[in-house]
Amino acid sequence: MRRARLWVMASAVTLAVSGGGVDAAEPAPGVLISRQLAEAKALSPGSQIRLAPGGDGQSAQTFRVLGIYEPTPDPMEISESKFKVRLHLPDMARLVSGPADLMAAETVDQVNLVLRDPRQASTIATQLMTGTPGIVARQARAAVSGAGTFVVIERFHLAIAIVTIIASALFLLALSVMLVDERRDTVGVLRLIGLTTRRVLAQIFLESLVVAVGGAVFGIGLAAASQFAINRYFQWHYNTALVFVRVTPGVVAVCLAIAIPLGVVASAAASWSLLRKQLMTLARR
Amino acid sequence: MSVIEARDLTRVFPMPAGPVTAVRGVSLAVDPGDFVALCGPSGCGKSTLLHLLGVVDTPSSGTLTVDGEDVATLGDVARSRIRLRKIGFVFQRFFLLPMLTAAENIELPMAEAGVSKSERAHRVHELLEYVELSKRADHRPSQLSGGEMQRIAIARALANRPRLLLADEPTGELDQTTGQHIAELLDRVNADGTALVIVTHDAVFARRARRILTMRDGVLVSEERVR
Ligand SMILES: Nc1ncnc2c1ncn2[C@@H]1O[C@H](COP(=O)(O)OP(=O)(O)OP(=O)(O)O)[C@@H](O)[C@H]1O
Ligand SMILES: [Mg+2]
Repeated sequence: MRRARLWVMASAVTLAVSGGGVDAAEPAPGVLISRQLAEAKALSPGSQIRLAPGGDGQSAQTFRVLGIYEPTPDPMEISESKFKVRLHLPDMARLVSGPADLMAAETVDQVNLVLRDPRQASTIATQLMTGTPGIVARQARAAVSGAGTFVVIERFHLAIAIVTIIASALFLLALSVMLVDERRDTVGVLRLIGLTTRRVLAQIFLESLVVAVGGAVFGIGLAAASQFAINRYFQWHYNTALVFVRVTPGVVAVCLAIAIPLGVVASAAASWSLLRKQLMTLARR
Repeated sequence: MSVIEARDLTRVFPMPAGPVTAVRGVSLAVDPGDFVALCGPSGCGKSTLLHLLGVVDTPSSGTLTVDGEDVATLGDVARSRIRLRKIGFVFQRFFLLPMLTAAENIELPMAEAGVSKSERAHRVHELLEYVELSKRADHRPSQLSGGEMQRIAIARALANRPRLLLADEPTGELDQTTGQHIAELLDRVNADGTALVIVTHDAVFARRARRILTMRDGVLVSEERVR
């Protein structure tokens, strides 16, 4: 089933708004409009708007804005227009069933159910389907066809993450070896003065722990900052409330669980190779 | 009892091209307050012998006792303890820790030996005065001259009041005048009761010692009593 699309007639809206209260006996039917639409056309609850089923503005009808809502962010609709209106089903049916409109022939043939109590979904779906022959009713989640895409994206992300972790682990190891080797003299002096191997190793261990924790905290801070910046930018760019990046506690925990042991093990491994060298060769440099 | 006593020390370095015997059957005793200069041509094994005496290296054969304790059988922890408390080391290239100040460098061995903070501060002060560098206490090694670095290194070596100070060409990197000051300082250290073994190429410096031992090809070939 295609979603019935409604075009908002900008001129009609202005007209209606400037017209003030319409003196119809019956008040115009109420609609909800999206935040983006309200902002773009300076509408507020109480404004009158005119909606037409087609882009040509034919057979427009007047509606009253009852409220403004934030559209549920949907990555599938990221680049689509955010000008949206929610009508009561009978109003929508009346609006789109103009004789001139080809889409008027459309009928509802599928209902996606989203219920407060999802357990009732199958009961209600059965009721709907038996009560209205020709209608397919089902729980909404099953109808989402885009779910497969997300699985692919998630796997893709996982692959990137694994590659990143392996690459940075190697980088970290090389860096630790270099850093420790730079401290070769220091380690040698400490040993010559009379610090035991274990004592020096403990010192290096402690230092690398501090460095690893500091690095991890810095990384998380960086992630939080870029999360903020990326979300801000793309939310502005697409005018949506969609959250693009989210550094979850789980992600933070995984990062810490990988980074800290990795950093400590890397420098411990590097120092171990250094400490195994004969003390004398250190004294000779 | 001698501070250290070496008997028949030999050190062989296994090398791909065949073993190198750097020290061959050296016997030597250093008494408390002794002053020994170790001379000989380059490559004759002076540094290697000094490392053996300082419990930095392990002999391939022979025995070494420090304060009557046989060192050969000791493990890393016990050997470290001897280096920390009984033997001071001074090197040609100073080997100060660059990130610590002069005072902190001197304090380090004491901290490791568990000396109390107030006692450490007192001793650092005393040692800085001894090497005439009280004004440089807060300088880092990079802010010190070569001679000053060596004096700090000597102060550090003396921190735990070792009975023996070993020095491998302590004036090797210094100009003549500065070297002479270091030699005078070491003289004073000896006069104050610490036994000294120094390796030096400087004949004048060597003559300050009580005995001059000459090595050749890893063997002690002569001993000269100076005073
Ligand atoms: N770690 C080592 N591995 C292999 N050979 C070594 C090692 N250390 C020293 N040697 C060899 O042992 C011999 C003695 O070296 P040593 O450094 O003791 O000489 P030296 O008398 O101190 O010389 P110099 O006056 O030039 O400092 C040299 O032939 C040297 O090549
Ligand atoms: Mg040498």
